[in-house]
Amino acid sequence: MQEMKVLLVDDEVDFTSAIQKRLARRGLTVKVAQSGEECLSSLEKFPADVVVLDMKMPGMDGLHTLREIKRRHPLVEVIMLTGHASMESAVEGMDQGAFHYLMKPADLDELVYKLEDACKRKEIRERKIRSTDNGEES
Amino acid sequence: MGFGDWFPFFGRKKEHRNNAEEFRALLASRHHHFRQLLSADGENHEIFTDIEEALRGERVYGMAFVRAACTKAGAATYRMIQHLDKLAPGKYTRLYEVFDEIRREIEPYIARKEFERGGPLVLDLSDVNREHTDLCGSKMATLGEAGQRLGLDIPGGFVITAEAYRHFMDRNDLQGTIEHMLQSVDKEDRDTLFQLTSRVMQVIMTAPLPEDLEREILAAHTRLMETEGEEVRAALRSSALGEDTERTTFAGQYSSVLNVDRDSLLDAYREVVASKYSMQALTYRLNRGIRHEDVAMCVGCMAMVEARSGGVAYSRSPVDSQDDSITVYSAWGLPRAVVDGSIETDIFTLSRSPLTVKDKTVAHKAEKYVCLPMEGTCRIENQENEDDPSLTDEQALQVARAALDIEAHFGLPQDVEWAITDDDGFKLLQCRPLPRSEGDEGLRTDRTVIDNLPEPLMSGGITASPGVAFGPVFKVGKDADALQFPEGAVMILAQALPRRAALLSRAAAVISERGGAAGHLANVAREFGVPALFSLRGAMNALENGQTITVDADNRSLFTNKVEALMEQERPRHNPMRGSPVRSALRNAARHIIRLRLLDPDSAEFRPRYCKTFHDIMRFCHETAVREMFDFGMSQDYGKSSSRQLICDVPKQFWVLNLDDGFSPDGQERTDSCVLMSQVESIPMRSLWAGMIAVPWEGPPPVNARGFLSVMFEATMNPNLAAGQASDFLMKNYFIISKNYCSLQSRFGFHFCNVESLVGDRPSENYARFNFKGGAANLERRVLRAKFLQEILESYDFRVKVREDNLLARLEGYGHSTMAHRLKVLGYLIIHTRQLDMVMADSQAVTRLRNKITEDLAQFKTEQAPAAREKAARA
Repeated sequence: MQEMKVLLVDDEVDFTSAIQKRLARRGLTVKVAQSGEECLSSLEKFPADVVVLDMKMPGMDGLHTLREIKRRHPLVEVIMLTGHASMESAVEGMDQGAFHYLMKPADLDELVYKLEDACKRKEIRERKIRSTDNGEES
Repeated sequence: MGFGDWFPFFGRKKEHRNNAEEFRALLASRHHHFRQLLSADGENHEIFTDIEEALRGERVYGMAFVRAACTKAGAATYRMIQHLDKLAPGKYTRLYEVFDEIRREIEPYIARKEFERGGPLVLDLSDVNREHTDLCGSKMATLGEAGQRLGLDIPGGFVITAEAYRHFMDRNDLQGTIEHMLQSVDKEDRDTLFQLTSRVMQVIMTAPLPEDLEREILAAHTRLMETEGEEVRAALRSSALGEDTERTTFAGQYSSVLNVDRDSLLDAYREVVASKYSMQALTYRLNRGIRHEDVAMCVGCMAMVEARSGGVAYSRSPVDSQDDSITVYSAWGLPRAVVDGSIETDIFTLSRSPLTVKDKTVAHKAEKYVCLPMEGTCRIENQENEDDPSLTDEQALQVARAALDIEAHFGLPQDVEWAITDDDGFKLLQCRPLPRSEGDEGLRTDRTVIDNLPEPLMSGGITASPGVAFGPVFKVGKDADALQFPEGAVMILAQALPRRAALLSRAAAVISERGGAAGHLANVAREFGVPALFSLRGAMNALENGQTITVDADNRSLFTNKVEALMEQERPRHNPMRGSPVRSALRNAARHIIRLRLLDPDSAEFRPRYCKTFHDIMRFCHETAVREMFDFGMSQDYGKSSSRQLICDVPKQFWVLNLDDGFSPDGQERTDSCVLMSQVESIPMRSLWAGMIAVPWEGPPPVNARGFLSVMFEATMNPNLAAGQASDFLMKNYFIISKNYCSLQSRFGFHFCNVESLVGDRPSENYARFNFKGGAANLERRVLRAKFLQEILESYDFRVKVREDNLLARLEGYGHSTMAHRLKVLGYLIIHTRQLDMVMADSQAVTRLRNKITEDLAQFKTEQAPAAREKAARA
């Protein structure tokens, strides 16, 4: 698996910078955005495999951001990470195509596993699209 | 994006295309969804274990835990439905509806409470009575009531209401910010918790008040100045709302701010509100199962009473339910000295009828609390009257009479805080029901019944909370010591500081050099059933850290080491969370989460619409996903390449279905529909198989030369059954495998067994599951066999549940080598316990078998002994 590219979206700077450092130490390329708006503009330049998305942010909230990510970049996987437990938003997020729903405080190993799994899913979906396209052409 | 649309693979136009890549992509995708489903299943198992632990009282938890656990379980269950929907598109969509129904059942228990809003922000105390409990908190409502109805003199002042508190918390979503901070930390770690509480309090203390609230508080203060004079100083006291469930006192866990002038009034208000999140308040609520959100901080703001003497009165003994005398604790100056346990106090004991002073202990009161001229209070030396009683007998009678009046009015024994002013006037400062120790037997001071009681190490002091306990000594001098406090230690203190209550749930007993039964710490100790012996002089010096002692609080003695005869007197500690709002929220929600109704996959009720809990859904998804994987694998196009007979001693006994990467390339290349064990690359299958063939089966019936397995699986020895029928899943012995996965379904005769395991690079996701039931013998023997197996499996770290003859065992979280070993054990057991039920009635035969099994299993090499090492994933 090639190097994973991750975008962390959370308005808590302390949190994101700590996670960013720890993930970078594990060989991941990590960028940070502090709002939903910033996340969407980052994705235009930074080809993230997975977005780790806080649900509760000022401005554009997590679910809204998730919808936009999936609309503009359907192959990018999204992991919701929240400090505010809500079954309703968890279900809504997964209906919108989120890969996973994690609660803070998240264990780093667990987060890395989910990132790997999300990447795997992205690969599989890309591979399927490729194979179908080939099939169509042949 | 309908990626799922590609799944109906069969019968479409692409069937004829030689499109191996597309097929492999489909296979990989299916396998991925299957693995994700299994991973969600594993997560749920972990969550269920946590919930069960919490319900058994093995951990302390708040609503944050309850909400997180329910939400995680919901999310994992929902993901299982989604993944199953990818494996069998549209086939089980009913599950979404069922899930929604269950979710709607759970949600009310974990919903954040909506409070009825409205009402005044500030109320004058003279207008407050019992009916204002929901607005003013029980402390202020009771005080107002005592003033209005009993004609007792109470200080002038006002109450900043619960509405004011919520108004403040709404401002800038302070409540949301705090909840978020609380959710995101590990509450087991005391250091982190300590830092967190400081941060939360800081946030509150620096938050601006809504303007209208600020205006109303200052206007009320202006009215107070009009009646009490320009120079009036205020005492701000917490009167929290929502924690006054039965038996909770919350003694002294919040701040009071005394002697405050107008300029500091608003800061003092914020300080009292912030104390809702102090370390000890937070810990107390966690231990008692009180929901943070239910606690609204009402704050009483009263004219400061310049007390000549003050203290506390109990209308009955708090430690001995048989004792109905009234006790008055008194000191010079402000009553604070009595409640914070820092200064020794005079004690007056009065009989109830006739009301007379029965006994009087006058303490040496070398210090007292007074108001500072500018602001605040301080402890000063007292040399003018240190050995005089701080009350006359007449005053003691006056205090006791007030306590009895209040008891009569409210119908419960009372804890009354009072002051005597310079002009000999009595002021009631506070009153509340007196929490009492559980059990009605009273103190047990008669130790003459115990023979050979050793000489006490120390004796004396005051019983602050009854009971007997044993543990190592741990002295807590400063806050840093508190963070190190070990579970089960005897806490030794110089002063009975209220904030040490945060450690009570971990302490075996408390001993303090100062303080009495009337202090806050004593109150909380009684509430938690922790034995406490206070005013035991010299304890800090006489005892060494780590030394083990027995504490007899009833009889006021300490002994070296464990005194067994005394420990027999130990009273069971009640679970302080029992009956609490947090626990009942979890219990009610758990009914819809962890209960399992769908037990039998072959029953007609094994269908989505019969799922009543998340566990049912999970079970359904899991079982169905395995079958869908099987059916897909066996479908004609696909079956030829992936379903093989295993070439072993006994031909045609085992079939292997490869889901993805379970065969080596040369195994994959074979064209004879067979596979050799050496061509199987499934890690869990190889381990399981190693156990199955490790020791030849000797037991009855006798084995023929061809191989022991043929006997075992006679019931499926039907060569006419062709591969390719869906019923094979039930009828044959199938290994369903990938590199890291293996599921073995076996039915032989009347026996049914299923092993499923995942072994990969992530210890936290590894698991092995074993299900065994049935048999030819009668139920009683089958049940015995299940118990027999349970014993063996538990010694290898499996968690085992037995229901009648149905045994379900699970193990998870180990690394590769341990998992391999445990699978080998399972493989062995599948073979060698099959006909155990036949001999279960013969105890000699059982013993022989048990010995044989133990010997055989001991030969299986493991890197570490079972149960003696920490689980890798939990470390």
